[in-house]
Amino acid sequence: MDWIIGIIVLIVKLGLVLVGLLLLAAYLVWVERKFLARLQIRYGPNRAGKFGLLQPIADALKLMVKEDTVPEAADRILFLLAPAVVATSALLMFAVVPFGSHLTLWGKKIPLVITDLNVGLLYVFALSSLGVYGVALGGWASNSKYSLLGGIRGAAQMISYELALGLSLVPIVMHAGSFSIVDIVNAQAKYPFILLQPFAFVIFIVSAMAESKRIPFDLPEAENELGAGYHTEYSGMRFGLFFLGEYVHMQVLGAFVAVFFLGGWRGPLLPAPVWLFIKIILVALIMIWIRGTLPRLRYDQLMAVGWKVLIPAALLNIMVTGAILLI
Amino acid sequence: MSKLIIDDREIEVSPGTKVIEAAAQLGIMIPRFCYHPALGSVGACRVCAVKFIQGPFKGVQMSCMIDAQDGMVVSTTDEDVADFRRHVIEWLMLHHPHDCPVCDEGGHCLLQDMTVSGGHGIRRYLGKKRTYTDQFLGPLLQHEMNRCIHCYRCSRFYQEYSGYRDLGAMQSANRTYFGRFTDGILESPFSGNLSDICPTGVYTDKPSRYFGRRWDYQRSPSLCINCSLGCHTVASIKYREVKRQEARFSEPVNGYFICDRGRYGFFYSSLESRPRMARINGKQCTFNQAQHAMIEKLEEIKKNSGSAAIAAVGSLRSSLETLVMLAQLCQTKRWRDPACFIDSSQVQNVKTAISRLEPQLRVSLRDIERADFILAVGADPINEAPMLALAMRQAQRNGATIVVIDPRPVSLPFPFLYLPAAPMALSAYLGSLIKAVVNRGTADKMGDGARKFYDRIPEGKKLAEAQPPLSSEMLQSLQQSRRPIIVCGTEILSETVLSLSADFALLLQAAEKQAGLFYLMPGANAFAGGILSGEKDSFLQIIEQIEDGSIRALISVEADPFWWFDDRPRLERALDKIDLLVVLDYLDSQAAQRANIFIPTATFYESGGMLINQEGRVQVAPRALLGGIPISQAGGGDHPPRLYDVGIAGFDPKAAWLTLADLANGAAQEDEKALQQHLWKQISDLIPQLATFSSIDEIPQEGIVCSCGVNIDSRFSINWSAASNIRHDSGDDFDLIEVDWTFGTEELSSLSPCLWKLERKPCLVMHSGRAEIIGLTDVDLVEISTETGSLEAELRTADNMAPGILVLPRHRKLAWQIFTPGKIRIRKDQIRKKQ
Amino acid sequence: MAEALEAIKALATGFATTFKHLFRKPITEEYPEFKRTLPERTRARIILTRDPDGGERCVACYLCSAVCPVSCISMQSAEKEDGRRYATWFRINFARCIYCGLCEEACPTSAIQLTAMFETCERDILTLVYEKEDLLVDHGGKDKEYNFYKYAGVVTQEGGKGEHIKEDKPVNVKSNLP
Ligand code: SF4
Ligand code: SF4
Ligand code: SF4
Ligand code: SF4
Ligand code: FES
Repeated sequence: MDWIIGIIVLIVKLGLVLVGLLLLAAYLVWVERKFLARLQIRYGPNRAGKFGLLQPIADALKLMVKEDTVPEAADRILFLLAPAVVATSALLMFAVVPFGSHLTLWGKKIPLVITDLNVGLLYVFALSSLGVYGVALGGWASNSKYSLLGGIRGAAQMISYELALGLSLVPIVMHAGSFSIVDIVNAQAKYPFILLQPFAFVIFIVSAMAESKRIPFDLPEAENELGAGYHTEYSGMRFGLFFLGEYVHMQVLGAFVAVFFLGGWRGPLLPAPVWLFIKIILVALIMIWIRGTLPRLRYDQLMAVGWKVLIPAALLNIMVTGAILLI
Repeated sequence: MSKLIIDDREIEVSPGTKVIEAAAQLGIMIPRFCYHPALGSVGACRVCAVKFIQGPFKGVQMSCMIDAQDGMVVSTTDEDVADFRRHVIEWLMLHHPHDCPVCDEGGHCLLQDMTVSGGHGIRRYLGKKRTYTDQFLGPLLQHEMNRCIHCYRCSRFYQEYSGYRDLGAMQSANRTYFGRFTDGILESPFSGNLSDICPTGVYTDKPSRYFGRRWDYQRSPSLCINCSLGCHTVASIKYREVKRQEARFSEPVNGYFICDRGRYGFFYSSLESRPRMARINGKQCTFNQAQHAMIEKLEEIKKNSGSAAIAAVGSLRSSLETLVMLAQLCQTKRWRDPACFIDSSQVQNVKTAISRLEPQLRVSLRDIERADFILAVGADPINEAPMLALAMRQAQRNGATIVVIDPRPVSLPFPFLYLPAAPMALSAYLGSLIKAVVNRGTADKMGDGARKFYDRIPEGKKLAEAQPPLSSEMLQSLQQSRRPIIVCGTEILSETVLSLSADFALLLQAAEKQAGLFYLMPGANAFAGGILSGEKDSFLQIIEQIEDGSIRALISVEADPFWWFDDRPRLERALDKIDLLVVLDYLDSQAAQRANIFIPTATFYESGGMLINQEGRVQVAPRALLGGIPISQAGGGDHPPRLYDVGIAGFDPKAAWLTLADLANGAAQEDEKALQQHLWKQISDLIPQLATFSSIDEIPQEGIVCSCGVNIDSRFSINWSAASNIRHDSGDDFDLIEVDWTFGTEELSSLSPCLWKLERKPCLVMHSGRAEIIGLTDVDLVEISTETGSLEAELRTADNMAPGILVLPRHRKLAWQIFTPGKIRIRKDQIRKKQ
Repeated sequence: MAEALEAIKALATGFATTFKHLFRKPITEEYPEFKRTLPERTRARIILTRDPDGGERCVACYLCSAVCPVSCISMQSAEKEDGRRYATWFRINFARCIYCGLCEEACPTSAIQLTAMFETCERDILTLVYEKEDLLVDHGGKDKEYNFYKYAGVVTQEGGKGEHIKEDKPVNVKSNLP
């Protein structure tokens, strides 16, 4: 009997998280467009519904009814697969994010996380590198110069920043003494790690933006050089999936910033998931602000920042942390 | 060879090459207006200036006027010359009208190109512009003299190159005018070339006037199918319609020019009356229905009367593909062999010509220009193959003697020696010519057969009495010639004369002359028809077999017997008698209108394909357009229909050979590639010279000359006793010969409305002496009656023709088909003056 | 070090600027409610104009269709009885037009002109294909003066040989006088 309830609970959790994520992704787009507009003294979407609130729905509808074209010379199977890889890998990452400690229902303790892996952190990295495949395959399978270049750029960029991203989290693991995300959150019961590891925070947030290919790191899709880079040839909902992947990625990264540095779901007064939500939005707003302010990097600058600044800094940070922890 | 340096690059050219040509060989295009490779240099326009830095000349000179010499160092980019050229252009543009937007030359105008590339943009001249009044020059060319830059190309082409005199330069200096003395239709059948060679828009193509720009035309290489020479053309297509045709350079065939019959003979392909839909018993139906009906009906006839009851007619305007496919179809289905010719004498003539075109004898049209003696036997170049006349004109300009022996009154745009001779007398003439220039020893060199042949040549005494004698001038220049060529028509002669001409050429070669032989043939693909036909396969034979009931069904592939069969009532009776007439054609011919089943086919422009010209040259034309009803018709003159995604209207017709392939296989064939490969195999089996190529695309542009059908055993084998049996001209009757005219007698070009004005009025031609005897005079209206009908036409008399001959053009406006096929003799009481 | 400080300062100013923008009133002009008067040379919906005498200016020279980068102009030229060259039909597919204005630039007769009328949205794409009757207007557009046939040397109702602007009388070919 227990296991049946377990499964039901899991499915409910999965459903809620998925719906929440997708809705949030959609509205994140709206937030981004609105906020960005205001940063640039514009209104942003304001026609579909009050304050343009129905815009994401209109967009989704439009994408869904648009023709899904496959270029003649494309590698069909890979071409069709690539967007799914991007979207799923981003969605799957959320499986290990705890959005509260636990809930007690009918005397049962239900942990507010889909699964608490003891290697949660590694799982996250494994998935986030999987996302590269989506980009690289999409770029390659389209059989178009723009896409190919975008795909290559994407692969190079994500591999480079993956390192810094990972390394920046090593001190956190050292502090928490565990790879489990739940443990990491619990380790921040007293104070968030941002206070302990401000450098790691900066490195993480920069690499995270690069991971999710956001301005100023949007070289793989740089529209003025590559059309739309790896998804130049995509249309309709398949393009939508890439888009979705990107915004889910943004949320996931926001969630991870919250989890690793901002104490996760912890916070006074409000219920845990709300805190997590607030923190995610906060991170997203910062990302948008950055987008609204900075121009795109040049490719060599991008690589230089990754390899010459972030990675050494992260390594240094690890050493210093290690030293301090030893003492 | 002289070695010179042009723009720092070295090139070696043969002596006599102009610097402008040497540069062209290096890929450097020096601007030019007056220079034209075919017309030579005159140095009139001054735009080809280059700078000579070293060598025998120094400074700025005209590159078209100076022969390339050793040690020359030439710059085409030097600042001095660039500046010089810029000024020249500015002078030329002083009086140029503000016309480009409404000028049909715009887009391929040499003057525009030079003005833009020379850097002259803003007009500085403030004075008034000189103007000229234009002339009406006929239906082919529009005149707009304001645009002239006085390069003299037109007058040089018209007068020097082609030998006509009614257009040329008038006045002097700033008033020089190019045109006719008064308005009127240009006399030259080569006048269309003016629109090609005029570097500006003075002469523009009238039939395509204001229709489109060069850049909008789909321009595709094509071949002319309006006579047997197979000249190279460029077809310009716009909005699914062939709208204009230009000459395409071809070294061995037509050079830079084509004649007006070819240039304007394409209108049939987009006539509004062109049938685009299949028909069963006159009712329109889909292509597939007609095809099914055809296959079924033929099956039925085969069951009832056997497969030998089905016969097919091929056409001399069909592609080689179609003819081969038809022959194969007849073979596999065990039908009668297809007939492409009217009667057995026509087949035999063509077959004889083919068998005598030995590789060392046959010459190309280009070689004719280099001849120093041309003997035309039974050939009327201007009327039968106009470009031949232009080639002969070049030979004549270079000093060749031209001799024409022909029963017809022949006119050529240059001086030539003419001997009127009845077709029967031609062999006697040739005999005495041989005797006069070849001696027995020479004949002996060719072997026993030749010697015997030589010995049997009858003495020409009788001839000398009755006919104008061979002049000594003629004999002398033949004796002295180095490169004599015999040109021989196949239409009005007997097979003996054709053979004799070849033997003559052989003997001339034995006499150490570079002699050549050139036959004309009765249709664009007559050569192919000749290879594929048996000795007896003729339409006449089919008619006879229909009459005796052994043929029950007839398939006519792009052929219209009504156009060429001599006896119309007999033809009608025969067609009434058969159970099934299937016609495949792209013209709405009379046969097509009578057909039980009619299936439209694609024109040569729409199918592309191979043709074998009279020299045996296999030439290829690619498909120039896909087909379909022209936009101008689909929209009824207004804008095209506002529809999308409805396919191309009128796109049904496909190449005749494809329909035949469907018929051979009993069902529509999907895989066109496979069919093509199969067909290619057949064709290359037929023509061994093609075996080295793996597909039609590999055939070079100038074609491949084939020697299939050559038969060396037929040398020196003519029967002299029959040949010298000259019928005494009693003065009581006439031999009627049916002839071609430049315009109005050829099936396809007769459908071009713009050529109608150029057609001469149909008339019968008779020797003036004879006319007098029977009491007729010039321009009398006469009636000829035969057992089958009567014919009315104007009578023209001529002095320069054989007396016992009546010449009848197969004019489209004349219902001339009232004779019994074969030799036609008209008694004088059959000719009556009409009041 | 100084460089790093400089960079940080630059970054900070940037962020500050965008941040300040957050609180400014957007400068957007909202389109259907507010319609700005557009400059005369705005490039939108194309017209075919007439010369001052009311004649169709277009001579169907095909230059606009040749220059159009998206090939959305097609036409058929022909000759009128009086010798004028004109377009029997003239079609612009506005669904394709990118309003680059190259056609106007290429036109030797000032016939084709872009106007400020840009509200051409349609539900049925075929209605965006404009025919000559939709394009032809009865004024001269931006160019009120030019009349091509008054300058061109060809014979039309606007003038015979030698009667156009800046033309001499036709040469008399049969005269010997200097
Ligand atoms: S001849 Fe050439 S330059 Fe003169 S109006 Fe015609 S296109 Fe223009
Ligand atoms: S009419 Fe043409 S070809 Fe003749 S001189 Fe003038 S520009 Fe040259
Ligand atoms: S504005 Fe540009 S795109 Fe539109 S019709 Fe003119 S040339 Fe073509
Ligand atoms: S460029 Fe001007 S004159 Fe020429 S076709 Fe276009 S609109 Fe007509
Ligand atoms: S081309 Fe040499 S002067 Fe005209």
